Amino acid sequence: MAPKSIIRFVLMALLGCSVLAILAWPVPNPMKHPERKQVRFWHMWSGEWKDVVDKIVKRFNDSQTEYEVVSLSIPDSASTKFILGTAGGNPPDVMAQWEAVLPTWAENKMIVPLESLMTPAEWKNFKETAYPAVRKVGMYKGHLYGVTIGMNVSACYYRADQFRDAGLDPEVFPPGLEELDELGMKLTKKDKDGSITRLGYLSAPWKMLAPAFGGGFYDWKNEKLTLNTPQNLRALQYMVANRKKLGYENVVRFQSGFGSDSGAVWSFIGGAQTICFDGAWRVTQMGQYAPKLDYRLRPMPPPKGGVPLAGATNGNFMIVPSGARNIAGAWEFIKFWSGLSHPERAAEFYTWGGWLPLSPAVANTPIYQAYIRKYPQFKFLVDMMPSENLQPPPPIPAQQYVSDAIEKYQDLALRGSLSPEQAIGALEKDVNHELARRMELGYAG
Amino acid sequence: MRKNLVGYAFIAPWLIGFFLFVAGPFVASVYLSFTRYDILSPPVWVGFANYKSLITEDPIFWKSLGVTVKYAIVSVPLTVVAAVALALLMNINVKGITIYRTIFYLPSIVPTVATSMIFLSILNPQLGLVNGILKSTGVIGPAWLSDAKWALWSLVFMAMWGIGGSMIIYLAGLKDIPTYLYEAALLDGANALTRMRRITLPMLTPVIFFNLVMGIIGAFQYFTQALILTKGGPEDSTRFYALYLFDRAWKYGDMGYASAMAWILFVVVAVITTGLFKTQKKWVHYGA
Repeated sequence: MAPKSIIRFVLMALLGCSVLAILAWPVPNPMKHPERKQVRFWHMWSGEWKDVVDKIVKRFNDSQTEYEVVSLSIPDSASTKFILGTAGGNPPDVMAQWEAVLPTWAENKMIVPLESLMTPAEWKNFKETAYPAVRKVGMYKGHLYGVTIGMNVSACYYRADQFRDAGLDPEVFPPGLEELDELGMKLTKKDKDGSITRLGYLSAPWKMLAPAFGGGFYDWKNEKLTLNTPQNLRALQYMVANRKKLGYENVVRFQSGFGSDSGAVWSFIGGAQTICFDGAWRVTQMGQYAPKLDYRLRPMPPPKGGVPLAGATNGNFMIVPSGARNIAGAWEFIKFWSGLSHPERAAEFYTWGGWLPLSPAVANTPIYQAYIRKYPQFKFLVDMMPSENLQPPPPIPAQQYVSDAIEKYQDLALRGSLSPEQAIGALEKDVNHELARRMELGYAG
Repeated sequence: MRKNLVGYAFIAPWLIGFFLFVAGPFVASVYLSFTRYDILSPPVWVGFANYKSLITEDPIFWKSLGVTVKYAIVSVPLTVVAAVALALLMNINVKGITIYRTIFYLPSIVPTVATSMIFLSILNPQLGLVNGILKSTGVIGPAWLSDAKWALWSLVFMAMWGIGGSMIIYLAGLKDIPTYLYEAALLDGANALTRMRRITLPMLTPVIFFNLVMGIIGAFQYFTQALILTKGGPEDSTRFYALYLFDRAWKYGDMGYASAMAWILFVVVAVITTGLFKTQKKWVHYGA
């Protein structure tokens, strides 16, 4: 063999060996206790929230001798990855979700009915003690597919300093939606060009308002969608009227200056909004980023003839894929975090995330009560939890489509492209058409 | 024979990848377009139901096709003209021209997501650069991405930002034009405009044709920028075809419907491209 050929051969062999070495390089074992059974946990939190999740996972692992949870944060396209993982036969053992996926995945038998993992006593206890909204969020066709590890409801945050500046008593909050609307207009400030410089109050989204008007998008008793109802129409009309007074484009322009509007840069902290409708987690964030800001929190007041303590709600819920390898370990972890096993222990986890609890058993623990004393405004949110008027998204397989359609027609009505009557009619037509198409093709509605 | 085998062995990784990840799914999607399929359950044959529903019952399908065609009709010619103009400028021998070329080329290598985020800021109605400039002249700029009248044109404007890539191709084309043609034209007394009309542009037509075809295919696949900047809104004014297809596939789990959409898109692009190829005999000049 010529020297050139030998060199070429050696170089090729070296290249081949290097490629093989890279491919064969052992993947580091993510487990600290290899003798335990692994529980693969996927979640969608990132940043400061991921730190909270990691703390809870560490607590679980420290408490265990049998299982070890290995968590993986998937902030983007987690549902898509879950579907592909399941289709490929490699799903996680447990996943924390909050997207509109539960009914679809339950219908496709991708996830396990969790009552099948409970003892009869646990199942009875859950049904009897969990808050009504908690039960509704996780149920599909009579089975429990998701256990919440943190509920969320929205309420009105308002700045006491701006109330005082306007000559108002911050302890007195409008008793009705109509009065709130009026007050919001008084508190809104505009410059000489008519541009908003401070937003007094902006109506809550349609999904949130409809239950307060005695409506909502699902009849939980008769298990059917309720889109075009007089109550939902009134809610949309109220919302459109509120936006008209402020000016649609005026609000868009003003809100475009909010940036990410999260954490420390929440526009409410910056003073750009006086009364702001937002989620429960903001309470913890206020404590973190603006501990000295004097603010109050109240449930959204009902309209005349409406329903109190009403609105849309949702939660972070745990699911177990049908193809999970360690279902028993997954269930242990769910019980640990949710407080189904030890409410006293789990209460601390809820306070770390500023999440609303699963049941009064968690809410009444000393740790959770101490949290409420630390953040007194949180009590208003916890007091909303027993309300039967809090409505989770409709439990139908086309949940995502319906949710998107509601937002789409709300937007068209707010812009004035459709009247509220036209918008609600178009919403009903659109959704019914899609459901009919799906049924015709053989999908579950 | 042995020589051929070695050749095939070298291209085997690509061939395997191509058949497994391109040709396989390509053929499979034909079948899937005639089925009800959500990835998790086996596909069920539904005949032409997906196609029928798309063409006769789905207004968003037609809307998204219309938005995409509108974008292609406006943005592709506009970017071709702008890139050719820029290439002509970058072809002038002045001091520091290489620096100018680099500056104009740079935006095209910025990742699409980063560019989109920059434009999200530039087009902010309250704090954005564009409205800031307009305000200094006494004009109140619109809410670019939130106004149904302006959102699509904002995306067209953004497309102009990335013309550096095609500019480089045109520049290479310009450099390829033999100088003797210009010398001969000068001897014949042709002025700059005539040289441009009679030599530069005709000689550049193969490159223009290439960029036109690629631009149209790219416009029909327009996705990322719309997903980041507008998510199809406002009022479906930027509901691009690929965005709607993606939603149908991954948001609503309707892979059969999305496959049918993909095949309709394929046919539309194939027809337009074939049409363009048919016209090239009339206006594309190959060879010096």
